[in-house]
Amino acid sequence: MELLRIENISKIYGTKRNSNKYTALRNISFEVKQGEFIGVMGASGSGKTTLLNILGSLDKPTSGRFIMNGNDISTLDKNQLAKHRMGHIGFIFQDYNLLETMTLKENIILPLTLMGRDLKTIEAKLSNLASDLGIVPVLDKYPYEVSGGEQQRAAACRALINNPKLILADEPTGNLDSKSGKDLLNLLSFINTEYKATILMVTHDVFAASYCQKILFIRDGEIYNELYGGTDKKQFFDSIIDVMSMLGGERK
Amino acid sequence: MNLITLAFRNIRLNRKKYVMYLFSMGFSAFTVYTFLALMQNEYVNMAFQYDQRYRSLLTAFGIIILVFVLFFLVSSNNSFIKARKKEISTYALFGMTNTRIGKLLFLETIMVGTATLAVGIGAGIFFSKLMAMFLLDMTLSDFVGEVSFSIAPTAIYITALLFFIIFCIMGMSGLWVVYKFELVDLFKADKVSEGRYKGSTAVLILSLVLIIAGYVLACSKNTFVVVMGAIPILILVITGTYLFFWGGMPKVLSLVKRNKAVYYRGVNLISASAVSHRMKTTASVMATIAVLSAVAVTAIATGFTLYSNAEKNTYSNIGYDLVYYGGESSPQDQIREIFTKNKKTIDKELTVGLYQAQPDLDSIKINGMEFLSSGDSFRIYSESEYNELASVSKTNLEKVQIEPGESLYIYPYSPDSLEEVMLGQSMEFKNSKIQISSLLRSSVPGFGLDSTLVLDDKEFETLLQSGEVFPAQSEGKEMTATVMNYGGALSSGQLNQDLEALLEGKIHRYRTAYTLYNESMESFGLICFIGFFMSGVFILMTASLLYFKQIMAAEEERHQYRMLKRIGMTDEMERQVIRKRLLPIFFIPLTIGILHSVFAMKTADTVVFSNMIPVENSYLSVLGFSGVMYLAYAVVYFVFYFVTKSQYQRIVRN
Repeated sequence: MELLRIENISKIYGTKRNSNKYTALRNISFEVKQGEFIGVMGASGSGKTTLLNILGSLDKPTSGRFIMNGNDISTLDKNQLAKHRMGHIGFIFQDYNLLETMTLKENIILPLTLMGRDLKTIEAKLSNLASDLGIVPVLDKYPYEVSGGEQQRAAACRALINNPKLILADEPTGNLDSKSGKDLLNLLSFINTEYKATILMVTHDVFAASYCQKILFIRDGEIYNELYGGTDKKQFFDSIIDVMSMLGGERK
Repeated sequence: MNLITLAFRNIRLNRKKYVMYLFSMGFSAFTVYTFLALMQNEYVNMAFQYDQRYRSLLTAFGIIILVFVLFFLVSSNNSFIKARKKEISTYALFGMTNTRIGKLLFLETIMVGTATLAVGIGAGIFFSKLMAMFLLDMTLSDFVGEVSFSIAPTAIYITALLFFIIFCIMGMSGLWVVYKFELVDLFKADKVSEGRYKGSTAVLILSLVLIIAGYVLACSKNTFVVVMGAIPILILVITGTYLFFWGGMPKVLSLVKRNKAVYYRGVNLISASAVSHRMKTTASVMATIAVLSAVAVTAIATGFTLYSNAEKNTYSNIGYDLVYYGGESSPQDQIREIFTKNKKTIDKELTVGLYQAQPDLDSIKINGMEFLSSGDSFRIYSESEYNELASVSKTNLEKVQIEPGESLYIYPYSPDSLEEVMLGQSMEFKNSKIQISSLLRSSVPGFGLDSTLVLDDKEFETLLQSGEVFPAQSEGKEMTATVMNYGGALSSGQLNQDLEALLEGKIHRYRTAYTLYNESMESFGLICFIGFFMSGVFILMTASLLYFKQIMAAEEERHQYRMLKRIGMTDEMERQVIRKRLLPIFFIPLTIGILHSVFAMKTADTVVFSNMIPVENSYLSVLGFSGVMYLAYAVVYFVFYFVTKSQYQRIVRN
């Protein structure tokens, strides 16, 4: 089932009067099906973060249509966009973006409290998710009291708590050591299969990308190539490296 | 780019933050200049020529304000520098030495300081005429004269000098802050956590106990306890307040957090956790503000109450517009001439004979001190004569009805437990025994004696016959007292002068409402005037300190709002978060300050007002007058809250 359709999306920075225009995205079109785990790769400045911001409705495209579940998101106003984000999208960021004034538990349930859910629903949702993600022992700790891996798992938990249709991950392993990074990737795969969550992950880490089912390569604001992962992870990994070297991106 | 251009650029970029500075510093410069200029103003000097107290009062409060201004400017300047940590660390990163950074900040301070000084003194000069007239109008009841515009060079000079000293101290302390910065702070500034502090139940209970103990002491009806307890009350309440903010409020917050149904609703989670997170650094500021607000509102409420009740106080003291008594023949004809000359008419006039007695009575003690004993003289009235006096009085004297064997006892002020000691006491005369059946506090009918008794007409007559009540004598003649009321008494300066010139030396004792009223207006008006400025400085300084603290917090919390936006916080929710985040910081100290003041006014009522305001429940009327000032204070606070809120919002949205 199709969840997301991107039609000819462009993003141009700089005002109309200003001659200093910069085109971050150029007529990008693709589709995302329900339950897919997609990676977006590209060199720095290729436009992958801009794409993620538009998909996350943090930013508006200059032209083109962006349809999610049959609704054209690009026509919504600022407040509707905020509601759309709250209800349908979960974010995982490189620097976790947890509020240090709150315990992990409070951070995780934040989207639910903002939506005005009652205490019972909140507790019930939290307890299931927290035990699945293995962060029950650290729930009452503050972000600065736990490891980066635990913070990122808590962030993943927050992204999942409102059952979003789409999870957007921006370099989620960027700040983690290799062991925690691997744990997190396994966790994302687990979320993808168990919760049937659709995940779109921006990364330039080849190892992280190899966990995806499909990879979009972006260069200069355009889709340069697409790769589909098969059963053989090693082979997928090698072909990603091949495309990346053709792209001129860095090797990892 | 040299330092001066850089300093100019910084001021321009930070101008919104500097506006608050300009405002609070400008107002304090204005106050100091005004006080100094008033001391030198020839009109004011002329008006106060009989009374040098005003100079010492203005000087004393000027010094208090300066010390306070110094403390708060240094402290808000330091917060301001901390808020610019990132900018300053960037300079350091690019290789600027601490000394140069210090110089830069010092330059900025001096530049902004000079500007505020110019604004403050400029406003002081501009409003000098208005301020002098305001002071004179407040303190002199019949002030109609013109005050000319004047510039006081000495005042300008002293104000500028004092403030430059303050700026230098600010610069030094700013330099100290800069020296303490570590470059690495730049990279972890946002991540620095204040740690978790849950507060303690013991401290919460202790703080409440201390404050309540202070309140209970302050509410004591016993004047002696209240006066002797003033220092302990202050210590109890101030300690309690600080303990409450240090340990008690975090506990209250953590109790609120425990109530999940409320805590997990909407934006409460964000606001409550943000407030409790900041508790450690804001606790002292909030406590200080609570205490200072209490002082400021109490000062202005006291001044205003005293000032508003000066007229009532005058009449409860004298009772009439003109009173004179003695054995001399009354110069009534000359008095009438004076009235005709001044084109005023006497509304009411009454002359009564004065009688006294020395009855036998048991020695009466109050608080271990002998209050009355045998041989003490009492002023004696018959019921009908007293009622005549009462009916023309301008105060709370009412007609009474006295049964034989009973009497009304009147005393000018009421020591504690006077009522329980005096009621039922009996005075022994040869053939009769008279019991005190009711009491009244008034200084009106004594005419030279403290204790006054009002007797039944027939009893008075009998005692007069037996010689136990006898006419009071002065210089060999029987004494009479004359009381008069006339229109516009409190503003007839010339008439009063003429009357006093006539009566001086000619009559045993005289008093006029005009003179007493003007004396109290001079002191109360001055207290009110100074109180107004003090409160103004206090409120501006405390509120701007809060402002700086919140702006600093806003810079640090910015990334949180960005993150919250990402997970779908709408603008409306953001406004709610900010409101709930800032409201407690501003209004908890204010509420506690006002609450303290309510009890402080109770003390003031026991000591001063209950003897001054002749109504049944003087505290209620005191609260009424204070309420006006509380409201004014709260309104100013509200304005600051809104300014802070909009600035905070602007920062986190950027």
